This record gives sequence, structure tokens and C-alpha cells, in this order.
Amino acid sequence: MDDKTLTRDFGVADLHEVGVYRGRGGYAAVAKALKMAPPDVLCEVQKASLRGRGGAGFPAGVKWGFVPQNLPGPRYLCVNADEGEPGTFKDRYIMLHNPHLLLEGIVIAAYAVGIHEAYIYIRGEYEAVAQRLETAIAGAEGKNLLGKNILGSGFDLDVFVHRGAGAYICGEETALLESIEGKRGHPRLKPPFPAVVGLFNAPTVINNVETLSNVPAIIQNGADWFLKQGLPKDGGTRIFGVSGKVKKPGIYELPLGTRLRALIEEHAGGLKEGCVLKAVIPGGLSAPILTAEEIDLPMDFDSLAGAGSMLGSAAVIVIDRETPMLEVLRITSKFYAHESCGQCTPCRIGTAWIHKIVTRIAEGRGEPDDIDTIISLASNIKGKTECPLGDAAALPILSICRKFRGELERSLK
Amino acid sequence: MVKLTIDDRVLEAREGLTILRAAQESGIDIPHFCYHPAFAPEGSCRMCLVEIEGVPKLELACSTPVREGQKVRTRSPSVVEARKSVLEFFLAEHPLDCPICDKAGECRLQDFYEEYGRFDSRLKEAKEKREKKAAIGNKLILDRERCVLCTRCVRFLKEVTGTGELGVVNRGNHSEIATYESELVDNNYTGNLVDLCPVGAITDADFRFKARAWFLDSRESICPLCGRGCHIFVDVHPGFPRVLLPQRAYRIRPRENPDVNGHWICDFGRYSYAYLDRGRLDKLVQNKGGRETVLTAEKTSQIIAAKIRGLVELERRPRITVLLNTTLTNEELYLADRVFRRGLGLKNIFVADPPEGTADGFLQTAERTPNRRGAAAIGPFPALPGLGELAGATDLLLIFGHFLAARAAAGELKSAFDRIEAKYLWASHRSPLDELVDIVIPTPVVAEKSGTLTNVEGRVQPISPALGFCSEGWPEWRALLDLAGALDLDRGFFEPLASPADILAVMKKEISFFG
Repeated sequence: MDDKTLTRDFGVADLHEVGVYRGRGGYAAVAKALKMAPPDVLCEVQKASLRGRGGAGFPAGVKWGFVPQNLPGPRYLCVNADEGEPGTFKDRYIMLHNPHLLLEGIVIAAYAVGIHEAYIYIRGEYEAVAQRLETAIAGAEGKNLLGKNILGSGFDLDVFVHRGAGAYICGEETALLESIEGKRGHPRLKPPFPAVVGLFNAPTVINNVETLSNVPAIIQNGADWFLKQGLPKDGGTRIFGVSGKVKKPGIYELPLGTRLRALIEEHAGGLKEGCVLKAVIPGGLSAPILTAEEIDLPMDFDSLAGAGSMLGSAAVIVIDRETPMLEVLRITSKFYAHESCGQCTPCRIGTAWIHKIVTRIAEGRGEPDDIDTIISLASNIKGKTECPLGDAAALPILSICRKFRGELERSLK
Repeated sequence: MVKLTIDDRVLEAREGLTILRAAQESGIDIPHFCYHPAFAPEGSCRMCLVEIEGVPKLELACSTPVREGQKVRTRSPSVVEARKSVLEFFLAEHPLDCPICDKAGECRLQDFYEEYGRFDSRLKEAKEKREKKAAIGNKLILDRERCVLCTRCVRFLKEVTGTGELGVVNRGNHSEIATYESELVDNNYTGNLVDLCPVGAITDADFRFKARAWFLDSRESICPLCGRGCHIFVDVHPGFPRVLLPQRAYRIRPRENPDVNGHWICDFGRYSYAYLDRGRLDKLVQNKGGRETVLTAEKTSQIIAAKIRGLVELERRPRITVLLNTTLTNEELYLADRVFRRGLGLKNIFVADPPEGTADGFLQTAERTPNRRGAAAIGPFPALPGLGELAGATDLLLIFGHFLAARAAAGELKSAFDRIEAKYLWASHRSPLDELVDIVIPTPVVAEKSGTLTNVEGRVQPISPALGFCSEGWPEWRALLDLAGALDLDRGFFEPLASPADILAVMKKEISFFG
């Protein structure tokens, strides 16, 4: 389909090889950008209203604009390829099938902000993907698309792949910086924000893989074209990762604003034979759950926020009627108790406590006030931690308890 | 300066100050565990959350700077709820073994629960079992069940000593404070971790199970064990009726002073307090003559004065030797100078101090006495010559302090002292010298005295008695004034002097260093 930007060429054989990628017009955007003045590149991305694809949806161009240009010393670009949000697997596909698209985005972003060193922080589990990136970087360097004096422009950029060790928290941008610095992945106190004090205390831009992969098309086709691909405030397409009880789980690149119902019923082929829809987690596990009645929503940042959920990483988890919500709650609470970094009190102890209660209910020893206690504990985590992990744990737990209270209470004695 | 409102009180605060500090300076307490004024804010305990008008979420008072026109609420319903919930989380993982915890009575978790908690536990689950007595340092015992993970200990070792022995291992609710494998916290400042710990997680092997905090009375003093003059608390047990306690002082803790020692003291100063109670001289001893006269302060000075006068009359003045030391206060050293050098015209006035150690590069200095700088400003007094040389040139020896005993073997001391006709000793502790002299007069230690000491940086610091002193002795300044009286020296000068404060007033006029 024509409206695809990121996945259009996924079927092309050996697309990950620099020659093949260039043969399909790849790196033309880099060549174009390097002839523009950096502020013009920045301006074009800002006009395109490219919102962050990692989960928070913060406009990338605005983020770049926060980096002070008058400070001495280096600036860094960190690519968040930690992709730890349960249900999310879009970045893996981009990096595996189209690594040069990401590298092209990195070069343009670095050029716009005046950065000469970029780190791709990739989750440890993606070993083959990391290998693919290393090969792609070497290939690009061989063609003078990375390294010194890129395409004769005088612009230098080195890209490094840094593999994480499997902690969800390292997808939080300041924990990610700590991890690259060789420290324990604990989120930092903000302010100062990474744009001013980031990696190795230098101004740093941190963008998600999918976000940066959109940049070449913006430079190539212009901000207006990009905006037309999506919504006025949400430019471009989005890669939705559909998993769960659907006939065709996988990734679907669609314009922002595509209805959730269409995504499930048309693109993902509807629910599996004999399955009836019960609930949908629309944006990765941290996104508050939606009931079967709520799926007529357009999938964009503001519509989902309006419905009390979030677009997050656009990972759609489809849950059918046979799946007990208590099990969904148990897996959810287990994940956050396991992944809490342990720094802030409410998240460290609250997630573990909630998980203990849910486990007890699952073992058939639930008590009448348990759901109220879980709701109260989750509310005491929400908004009271340093990083978004606290909210990411509290919000889905609260939504499951509130929207499926009746079903959960049937599990109590 | 910026103007802000905290709980309906309008106050002015310096720019760059955090809300917590600004509140503190205005007498408004914001509870906290992880924040400590000596470290960069950590923001992890979440106890100091406050409400700021116009900000949707509660904000950290420990790291949010004050702003012009800011309206902060520290007791609004949402803040009260947030504090309660943080305490509930802490207590859900806390063993509540206060009855056997050394921190009880001075524990933030206890205090804050009393003030901001007071809820019934909703916990039905089992608490995590963790190591209860991990020896993480020479004197440090870590109870991981009590730990609230404020990481003050970790940050102290990172930011203050730079030794970094402690870190956090594991994740989430499995997070624990630990050293690397079996290594220990090993530096000269480990005891500070006990004070820093807001709960009973790190306790002191030296203090463990010895006394309940609420029986102890914290008295202010200056550490006399090196030239730094760190400000300290001597924690004293006043005792119980009809129960004899083995000691008066149970521990030494740092007393904050930004100019001298900040919030810290070294382990040497902290753990050497046994000298306050052990080995003390508490009886006036008269060795020679065996007369049955009960010696009083007056009688003693008369005996010594008579001896001095006799030698002066026989023109053996140069054969009188005085040994001072630099644990004496400025006032005492000054009086010694006035009496012996200027009053009697003596020349053999020396300092006999304990041997030097090594400086640790932070607080502890090489000299192990608290007033060497003061002695230099008042004297200077030359260092002691060899023992044999001293004995050969001396008929009358006046010794202040027992430190000479550490400089020579017992036999050597005895043969030297046997050559000296008359010997008088003022000392705080028993030593081999006691049997070699004619009279031994018990004297107080620094923690029992009034006066001033001059630290290594030239700071003149006042001391007042933190502990009482035995009835049979008297301080050196008293002895020196009595001696001046008995010798009939310059009455116009000595007679009006009745206290260290009087003496200091005179010194200020006479010696520009003290002016």
C-alpha cells in the first residue's frame, strides 16, 4: 500500500544491505538534509508534528529544540531500542528488516541538532537484531554514510550499539542513560532533563526507533505530506503490533486515527474461531484496558487519552472471553513487581504487595476487601514516583479492577 | 531572595534553596528519609511530597527549588494521605522489632508513624525474610529487614569518603544494600553510617544492646583526640537508682558544625571514648612521707609552693622543670606561662604530648591532642629533651599529664625519676608515673572542663563540662591559680581571676591571636 512509510519495503530481499537499501532510494534523505542548514532540518521535523513512538507521544522536533546549542562540549543522541513494553515488537521489525531506515533517521537527527556520537540502546534479548545493526553500521560506514565527513558534507557521526541486560526500567530514558554509562539502571531525578544534562552530563536527545525511522520520509517528502498521512496533531503512520486472540497477529502500519475495531476485525482478521472479544489493551501493558464496548475509538494519542487510556507503544493485546481477568491481573502485577527498579518506595513495595494479594486470590484465598485494597494501593503508587513506571503499573491494575470488578469478585471467597 | 507561601505563611528564601530547606529554615518540618543536607537530593523515599498550587502532581520538597509567588501546602489532605501511604508501604516490609532495636526512640519511621501515620495495618501477606545481622564493617551490623533503602549510606561512601564500599543489589522489592561480595566497609568514617541511617538498619556493634536511646542525655563537647576539634555529643547515661552502671558515656556522635567537621566525625574519635571512664584517677595520692594529713587543694598547693620557694631561695631555680601538654586549654597554658615563665622566671618549660599518628587527609590530623595550635600561640613551648638529660638537670619536676609514661620503659622511667628530688603530677589517668612521684592530683579530661581549645585551623572553640568530675581532684587552671596564690605572685593580676572566662578575657587583651 502507498500510505506505508516504514514497512513499505519490508518484503524486499536483503533490504538490510546498504546496496539494496540505496537502490530503493535509501539515504537520499540524508543527502538532501546534509545540503540544508541544520535549523531548516529541525524546522521541517517540528512542522511535521512527529510525536514520539516510544509511548509518551512527546513531539520529537520540540525535544530536539530543547538542546542548548551554545554549550561547549559534546552532545549525544540515544536511540531507545529497549522495546520492553509487553506486547510491543514493532521496533524489532524495523531494525531487523530495515536497519538503514533507522540509521538514516539517526544521521538526519544528529545533523539537525549538531551531534557527532549516537548510541543505539537495544534490549539484551535482541541479539540477532543487535548483530544486524552492527552489520548495517559497518555497511554504512563503508559507503561513507556514517563516520567522518559523511557524503563529503564535512559532517561526522559515529553510531554505537549498546546492548542492555534485560531490565524493563532501562527503557525509561534516564535509566537508559545510566545504563549506557555503565551504572545501575535507576531513573534520575528530573530536572535537569536529558536535553540539558544527559549522557555523560552532556545535552542529549533520546528518541525511539520508530520515531527516528519516520524522519527520512519527512525530509524527503516534506512536513505537509507527513501530516496528511495521519492527523493534524499526530503526523504520520503508526506501526500497530497486534497480539492475543486474533487470527492474524503481527505488525500493521496504518495512519494514526485508524479505528481500533478496524484494526482488530479487518487488518488482524478478527478474533480466532470461536472466540468472543472481552477486552483490549490498546498501547502496551501499561495502557489502561478497554472493554469490548469501547473499541470504536480512533487509535491516536488524544482519542485514547480522552477515553482514559493511552496509545503508548501502539501494541494492541486482544483478550477473549475465555481468558480470566484475574489471570490478566496476576500477570500484569507480576510483571511490574518484577520490573520495578526498587528506587521509589511506593513502586518498590506497592507493586510487590499488590502482586502478593493477587497471587493469594488466585490461590483461592481471596477476601472480600482485597479488590478495594488493591485499588487503594495502586492509587497510592499513581503519581507518586519519580519515573513513569509507577503509573505504568498502577493504571492498568486500576483499570482492570474497576472495569472487571464483578468478574474479579467472583474469585473471592 | 524570593517570596513564597508555605502553609499560609509568607516567607522569604534565598534563590536556589529547595522547598524543604526553606521550610526548615522557617521552622516548618517536612518529613523525609532519603534527603540529607550533605548530599545531592535523591528523591526516592517520596516522604517529602508537598502540594504546589497549579501543579497537578505532588512534588518533592527535597529537590524542587523555591520560586517567586509559589504557594506550597505541607499539610493539605492529599499531602497527609501521601505521607500516610508511604509509611504504610514502609511498614508493610518492616519487621516492627522496635523492642529489640537500638534505633528505637530516635527512629524516623517510629517518629513519623506517630506524627503522620497512625493507621491500622492492612497487610495480610507475609513479609519478606531478609538477613538480620550482616556484618558489613568492623563495627557495622546491617539488618536488611529494617532497611528503607534511602541509600544515605551508599551516598555517604560515594560522595564523602569516596570509598564506595556499599551499593544496591538486586531489583524491586528484592533490592538490598550490600558490599561487593564479602568485602567490608573499611575507612576511618564508618560510624557515620549509623547516625545517617534513619532507621535501625545499620547499627553499631559497639553500642548494640547496651542502652536505650531515651535514657541517654546528649551533652555537647569537643573531641580532644586530634587537632581538628570536631564538635561532638557525648551521650551519657545518668544511671538508675541503686544500679551501678559500668560506664557513663555510651557513645560519641558528631554534632553538626559546617566550619569544622560538617556532619561527621572519624571512627578514632567515635570509638575511643572508653578513656572517659576507664583508667581514671579519682583519688589524690601522696606517696612520700606517709603522713596522715588529709590533703586538700589548699594544702597541696602549699606543699608544692614551699618546695618551689625552697629551691628558689637556694638559687636552684634553673633546676625546676615543668612539663605541660597540649590537651590543656588555652587558659591553662596561658596561666602556666604566667606562673612559671613570667612569675618564677623558669626556663625549663616543655611540652610532653602523646606520640603523633598520621593524618587521614579528611578530618583526623597527625597530632593527637586538641590544642597544639593554642600552645604555639601562647608559648611556644619547646619539645621535651631526652629523659636522661631532663633528670640530670632537674631537682623539682612539675608534670601536667601522664603522657611521659608512654615515652619510656618502666625501668628507665624509674631510674630517671629516682634522680629527681621532688616530683608532682597532675593527671587524668592512672599511669606508671603515679608511683614515681610525691603527689598525684586527679584532673578532669576535656569533656569535664571549661575553657577554650584552638583547633588546627586556629579556631578558638569553647568547651563546657559534658560530664561531672571526681571530688578529690581539680582542674589544672584551678591548680595554677592556687599555686600563684601560695607563691604570692602578682596578686593584682591573679586574684581577680576566678574562672576560665576571666582568664580568656585577660588573654584577649594581651595576645592578639585570641583578641
